[in-house]
Formats: sequence, structure tokens, C-alpha cells
Amino acid sequence: MTAIHLENLVKRFGAFTALKTMDLEIRDGEFMALLGPSGCGKSTTMNMIAGMESPSKGRILFDGRDMNGVAMGRRGVGFVFQNYAIFTHMNVYDNLAYGLRVRGLPEREVDGRVRKIADFLQLTPLLKQPSAKLSVNILQRLAIGRSAIVEPAIFLLDEPLSNVDAAFRAVMRTELKHLQRQFRQTMVYVTHDQLEAMTMADRIAVMDHGVLQQVGTPLEVYNDPVNLFVAGFIGSPGMNLLKGSLADSDRGLVVDLGELGRTAPLPPQLAAAARSNAGRDVVYGFRPERVSLSETGEGMPMPVTFIERIGARTIAHLGTGEQRVKAVFDNDVAAESASTVAVAIEPASVRLFDAATGVAIREA
Amino acid sequence: MMNRSVSFEIFRYAAILLALAITLVPTLWMASMAFKPIAEWSAAGADLTWWPKNPTLDNFRFIFGTSTSDLIVALDRTAGKPILSSLLSAVFGTLVAMSCGTAAAYGLSRFGSGQNLPLALIQLRLFPPMAVMIPVMIMWAFLGLVDSWWGLALIYGIVTLPFAFWLMKTFFDDMPREIEDAALVEGCSRTRVFMKITLPMMRPALASSALFVFILNWSDYLIALLLTTREWVTIPVYMASLSSSMTGQLYGAKAALGLIAAVPPVVMGIAIQRHLVRGLTFGALKQ
Repeated sequence: MTAIHLENLVKRFGAFTALKTMDLEIRDGEFMALLGPSGCGKSTTMNMIAGMESPSKGRILFDGRDMNGVAMGRRGVGFVFQNYAIFTHMNVYDNLAYGLRVRGLPEREVDGRVRKIADFLQLTPLLKQPSAKLSVNILQRLAIGRSAIVEPAIFLLDEPLSNVDAAFRAVMRTELKHLQRQFRQTMVYVTHDQLEAMTMADRIAVMDHGVLQQVGTPLEVYNDPVNLFVAGFIGSPGMNLLKGSLADSDRGLVVDLGELGRTAPLPPQLAAAARSNAGRDVVYGFRPERVSLSETGEGMPMPVTFIERIGARTIAHLGTGEQRVKAVFDNDVAAESASTVAVAIEPASVRLFDAATGVAIREA
Repeated sequence: MMNRSVSFEIFRYAAILLALAITLVPTLWMASMAFKPIAEWSAAGADLTWWPKNPTLDNFRFIFGTSTSDLIVALDRTAGKPILSSLLSAVFGTLVAMSCGTAAAYGLSRFGSGQNLPLALIQLRLFPPMAVMIPVMIMWAFLGLVDSWWGLALIYGIVTLPFAFWLMKTFFDDMPREIEDAALVEGCSRTRVFMKITLPMMRPALASSALFVFILNWSDYLIALLLTTREWVTIPVYMASLSSSMTGQLYGAKAALGLIAAVPPVVMGIAIQRHLVRGLTFGALKQ
């Protein structure tokens, strides 16, 4: 129940800059996911919030209070580590009780709260077990429980689900969200898994190479990526990004995609934005889910390289040379490898990026 | 293919048996000799058998001074004091090395920078011991520490400190910092983290390092030979004196003493075996 404000935050390790001037406002009670590939600076950001690292520059404010120089034990944060960091010389009960005992709570209250959280996380039958031999799934829950039990105002989770199996991950996504709703902490969740970020977070901060790329709700970053990195990173598979140049036609402004020919005319507002953009070289982007195979033969002709049928969905790999397109269909499609299909792209789903800067060209 | 692996297995077991024979036969010979009367272990007997024909505890009685056995020698001192001296100096030497080594290793592993100090410490071991022992004798004489178990314990602690340090540093380096951070973030102080989290989790590492250091101290001969004269000679020094002008080496007595000397390390080894076998399972990590 604390707002976090990162102000011009910079972190250098020697000559290496792990984080370049980051500004981020995390609202009170918000579930914020820091999403990005490994080495993007998300864990460094988290460690600075927790106080394990101190910023090279800038400030971290909790409810307006500067945290610089405040020891991590006094920040009121809970931290769940990627490798769980369970105290293996203690049993499950003592691990859960640890934070409360450090705070000097009477044993009777400790006991009550341990039993409550154990119940919530289904750890009750394991309380007396030594923690050294627990399964990864249990360790993960224990790690969450150990931090959650003291009801920290800020809950920091560093890739907590990256080591557990897929089925359990799905269960934990729901449980974590449930946990956060119940305790209403401000939650910062570091992950490289966009599915976790998309399903749990109120807002996502996408990071790459130490630079904050975009902050927004899951749908905002999915629908309107601000640059090529976010467009390619979010979504599975990511957005199709084709190099081209703007060209005029009798039906309006189109994008010339070279070997693949010309696209359908851009929607009027996007066309207007594109005209006012300085560069003529653009990247034409659209989601693989927004593609249909035209029955009438209208649309861009594209060669089919191969078809992936994965049960619920079919992924068609299309295009030639560097101009590769993935198209995702809910059902099977009547397309075969080495044939050519006519591809229609939903006009409203088209996004343009400046080829030189990588920045999205948006309607003013 | 099948034949090849069978012949390989035969070779493998033959090699293992050979290695076992080389190490075990002399040890077992010593154990057997400890219970033989003089007629059976001396060259005069000329009748060497594996099992003592007339098993006796005479050798033990002899070194503890309650019997002169058939030897026409009386010892000027018994084995009791040397055993006590060995125990005191090795145990306290191990304590010194382990406490200083652990503290230094933790500090350098968590907060140290650079490699100079750790390397300098190991370089101490590259020095030929003889070259330093004479200066040490002079210093110990000056400090009045010659011929005392505490003087020995001090030098043992110093000499084995690099081992304790390096072993513990490796273990500390392997222990993920997250475990300490997890306790720190709950508001635990550094000292309390070290005492309540780090050290308890390090128990297996402490046990195996201490055993290693203890064995080094326990088996020292050179230092004890130079730094003790009469009162506090240790088992190895005492053992060397077990001979007489008439019978030469008192093999039976030496074997008995050797058997006694083997007891503490074996007992310690068994006591911490659980730790040695279990190894280190820090924080049940992936990785």
C-alpha cells in the first residue's frame, strides 16, 4: 500500500551501464510487471527498489519518501527470489515464521499467522518437514509465503515462476493475483515471460538494454507498441515487421514491400500521420492474428514456406527473403507448403514504424 | 562388446583391489602387530604371521608404563602425556585456524575485492617449512612458548589457517547471496544473519574443513619436534623415541601407539560422515 516513484534512476557497474535514466511511477496497490529479455536491467531496477543495490544516480521514493540510505530491512518490502533462497537448515514452519520472529512478535501471534498463511498456500501438511528436500513447486510457495506473512506494503518478485513446471505456473499465476487482491500490496513483478506479465499485471513496463521502452496496460503495449522492440517482443509470435517504403497509389498511400509487392491502402488517419513523418522508409507491422487468407485472390500474394499445425492453432510461415510473415489461424487452413496464397491484413491492425528510428508513427 | 565390458570390469576391480591392498595391508599389519608379543614382532622371532598367535595387550601396557613386558627397557615417560599434548594442540590449533579462517573467508568472500590477499595466504604454504621453523623457534623461545601445548596450538593455528581460509572461502563463494539477502530484507542485522543463517547452513562445510585441518595438525611431526623438548612432546615425536639400544625399534609399542593415534580422526570422520556424504544443499536451488 505504497506508491513507488523512480526518478532519473541510473545504475552503473564499472564501465557498464545496467540502467539508463529510468523514470517510473508505480501506483499504490498496483501490480506492475517489469518485462524484458535477460540483461535488460529489470532485476537491477528491482534490487535497487529493495535496497540491495544503491543507485548510481537518481532517487527512489516510497510515498514521496526518499529511500536513499535506508537499509533494506527498514524499507518494508517483501522479496521473493528467483532461486527461492529458502533457509534449508530450518523446517517449513520456521521458514515461514522467520520474518515475524525477527520483528520480535510474540510466539502465539507468530503461530497464528504461520497457520493462516500455510493454509492459504496449502502448506499446512508440510509445516514440520525439513525444507531441504521439498519439490520446486513447494519451495516456490514457501518462498512466497515467507515474504507475504509479514504483509509488506511492497511485494517484489524476481522471476518467481521461471523454474516451476508449466502446469503449476498456470496455477500460481492465478494464486499470485488472488494473493495481491487480498493483501492489496503494491506488487513489482520481474519476468521475461510475457504471458505472466500480460495475465497478471495491471501495467507492464517493457525494458530493453537498460532502457525503459514503454509503460502501459497489457492491451496498450500489445496493441500500440511505441517502437519496433516492443512490437517484436510482445506477442507470441511477435508482430510481423516488414521493411518497406511509402508510395502513392491511385487508391491512397500504400507501403511498397519490395519483393512482396504493395500493401492495401493505409487507413486515412495512419496515412496522414505517415505523410507528416520525415522519413519515407518505414516498417510495416501487423499482428499474426490479424491476417486472413483471401478466398477471392484479392490481397498480397505470398509464397508459403511451411505450415505448423499445433492443435488449437495453425501457424503459417509466409514470405520470401528477408520479408517473412507469420500468420496465426484458429482453425486449420487450406494452404500447403510451396503454394502461393493471397493474404489480407486487417487494415485497422496495421502499425507503421519509422525505419530509421524504430519509433511508431502514430496518428496525431 | 559384451566381452569387452566384462574384461573392463575385471580390470577395474583388479585395480581397485590393488589400490586397497597397497593402502590397507600395512595398516592392518600395524593393527595386528599392536597385539603381538615381542617374540612375534621382533626379527628374532623370525616367524611372521598375520594373526597374533598369542594376542596380548603388553604393547599398550608397555607404553602406558604399567609393564615393561619382556623388554629389558623402562621408558622414561609414558604415552599418556604425549596423547594429551597431541589432543590439546591439535584441537586448539584447529579452533584457532577455523575461527580466524572462517571469519576472514566470509569477509573476503562477501566484501573483499581483488585476489591479492587470498593468493598471498596460499603462498605461505609454498615456503619450505624448514626455512621458517628456525625463526619461529627463536620467536617462540622469546615468547616463552617452547615446550607447551598452547605454543604448539598457536603455531598449528597459524600454519593451517590458509587451508581453513581457502576451504571456507570456496564454500562461502558457492553460497548464494540471496539467502542472506532474504534474511536482511526481513530486517535481520548482518551479525544475526551470519550467526543464525550463514553459519548454520555452513555446518557441513565447517565440519569437513575442521576435520581436514585437524588431521593436518594431528599428524605434524616437524613442528612438534622443534618446538617441544620434554614436557609436551606429541604422539609422533614420542613415537620416534620408542626404541632401545638393545632391541632397536620397538615395533610393537609403535604399532600400539599408531593404532591409538588413528582413533581421533576416524571417530571424527564417522561423526561428521553424514555431513560429508550429504554435501552442501544450499537453499535448495535450481542453477
